[in-house]
Amino acid sequence: MASIVRPNVLRQTCAAASKRAFSASATPGFPAVKSAPSIAARPALRSAFVKNAIPSSMRVAAFHASGRKAILPALPQTIDGTANDAAKVPESHPSHGSYHWTFERLIAAGLVPLTVAPFAAGSLNPMTDAILCGAVLIHSHIGFQALIIDYLPEWRVPKSRKLFMWGLNLATVMVGVGLYEFETNDVGVTEAIKKIWTA
Amino acid sequence: MFAQRAAQQSLRRLAASNPQASQLVFKQFAAPAVMGASIQTRPVATQKMTPTDSYEILVAQRKLRPIAPHLTIYRPQVTWYLSALNRITGSVLSGGMYLFGTAYLVSPLLGWHLDSASMAAAFASWGIVAKVLTKFTIAMPFTFHCINGLRHLTWDTGKAFTNKSVIQTGWAAVGLSVASALYLAIL
Amino acid sequence: MSAIRNTARLFRPSTLRSIQARSFASVVPETKTSTVPEPAKDADSQIKTFHIYRWNPDEPASKPRMQSYTLDLKKTGPMMLDALIRIKNEVDPTLTFRRSCREGICGSCAMNIDGVNTLACLCRIPTDTKQETKIYPLPHTYVVKDIVPDLTQFYKQYKSIKPYLRRDTPSPNGKEYLQSKEERKKLDGLYECILCACCSTSCPSYWWNSEEYLGPAVLMQSYRWLADSRDEKKEERKAALDNSMSLYRCHTILNCSRTCPKGLNPGLAIAEIKKEMAF
Repeated sequence: MASIVRPNVLRQTCAAASKRAFSASATPGFPAVKSAPSIAARPALRSAFVKNAIPSSMRVAAFHASGRKAILPALPQTIDGTANDAAKVPESHPSHGSYHWTFERLIAAGLVPLTVAPFAAGSLNPMTDAILCGAVLIHSHIGFQALIIDYLPEWRVPKSRKLFMWGLNLATVMVGVGLYEFETNDVGVTEAIKKIWTA
Repeated sequence: MFAQRAAQQSLRRLAASNPQASQLVFKQFAAPAVMGASIQTRPVATQKMTPTDSYEILVAQRKLRPIAPHLTIYRPQVTWYLSALNRITGSVLSGGMYLFGTAYLVSPLLGWHLDSASMAAAFASWGIVAKVLTKFTIAMPFTFHCINGLRHLTWDTGKAFTNKSVIQTGWAAVGLSVASALYLAIL
Repeated sequence: MSAIRNTARLFRPSTLRSIQARSFASVVPETKTSTVPEPAKDADSQIKTFHIYRWNPDEPASKPRMQSYTLDLKKTGPMMLDALIRIKNEVDPTLTFRRSCREGICGSCAMNIDGVNTLACLCRIPTDTKQETKIYPLPHTYVVKDIVPDLTQFYKQYKSIKPYLRRDTPSPNGKEYLQSKEERKKLDGLYECILCACCSTSCPSYWWNSEEYLGPAVLMQSYRWLADSRDEKKEERKAALDNSMSLYRCHTILNCSRTCPKGLNPGLAIAEIKKEMAF
């Protein structure tokens, strides 16, 4: 039944399109496809009288949203196995999973009083200052790690992933040493910020 | 009833023995009888294919599929905008800290003066507008990341997950962080 | 003996030309063919524009594009799905979308409407005609055709969490596994999920890592079995999630809970999993 109906529908749309060619009104008659239906766009139908109507009512915009400058654009779709196979379950690594998450939250929660303290007390004693510094450093390190894990998938760019991870480790160690130097040679981070802030 | 069935069966048998003949029969007798004079030929072709072959076609088709638009078309909402901001502000703050840490480590080699006293002196020489603006640009990511971080910590305890409270706390975090950053900027 | 019925040929230029030739040869009067009466006569018509994402797999070289349709809301049902069906029936039969139940229980018509993932059958058409509606497929999915996304990966991930009761001990009474009212209550807000994939495809984390991250819908179903008092494989279920990708790519963005057309809270379910696994 549907197969019989369909050509009829096509014919209707053709008729609607060609009819619109004669109407001068800017708002096309109803039902109206603003862009010509695919059939109307075919050369066969583009007879002289239709030609004028189509450009005014046609609104087909090329679609640019998926990004010409995307850094890691989505690859062509590939599916591992058939649709009936389950996705692969990765091995259990609590140190990258639940332990990691708990540790991250403990650091973050610990940062709350450590951040409030200098505001409440004016500045911190060297020990608390050093603890704050270390906690912020670990928090930053985990944060950067999350960035790398999110945006540089291991299955896709294993080399860059490794490079960035080791680069981050190196940077964190360097910054750690730098902050240690600052803590030991200078007045301490909170005190220094206070000094500069109120300068 | 019986005659109909017999005809059907003979047609079927004919089709099984000789597919081309059955098409002929269909064209000559059955089709006009069903559709009348205005017969439409539908160029629908069937093709024999093994499951492996049809799977190969699917695999080839998949490779041509476009990806649906995402970032650019999803409606701006507090949920994902604040989450993105949280990540961006965090990266900016930590990035700044990493830059300073490394710079401080190598400063003796390059002869930079990054000790607190000289930096404070340098900053003190700036004009008041530049000072306030700089302080605001630094304080804003800091206060936002801290206050939004509290929201995240609350969620990690399984609280405040309703849409309403997510939206409310989101806007509250924005308001509070702007206000506190302004306060810090004029300190 | 699988055969492919190549209906696509119907829309090839040569075919179309022949169809048109026929239709022009015997023009049916306008009054008889058009199922929709002429709208120009309606003084109070409410014309709304719908921009719809189009991509045809038969022309794989061409880029996806937006196509605009106008409908009179006075003659269209109240829901987005009504508008889509009307366009397909009366304006452009080539428009392709999935739909089935039209009452929000099958999850077929999940799509991105006005920037938010929802079910077309549960989404009212805003009566403000100045606002033009935009319809896209579910974000960051591979498009099969027009607004039909490929959800194979999503279903495969669902299968990977073993979404069924797993236990070794037989039931005490030999007939059924009993549950208290409180235990049953824990499943409320979880079992209602229809797997429409609105939440998963609204999640930026899932956009970037759908290969490995399970996404809100599948994780909520994972929790549905973790929360089930009758299930005995909780440790195995947790172990399957205990890696950096499957669960912990969730950064509590909460687009999932915001967009769920069934009013469920996948974000909360994921938080509960994290809490259970934390200590």
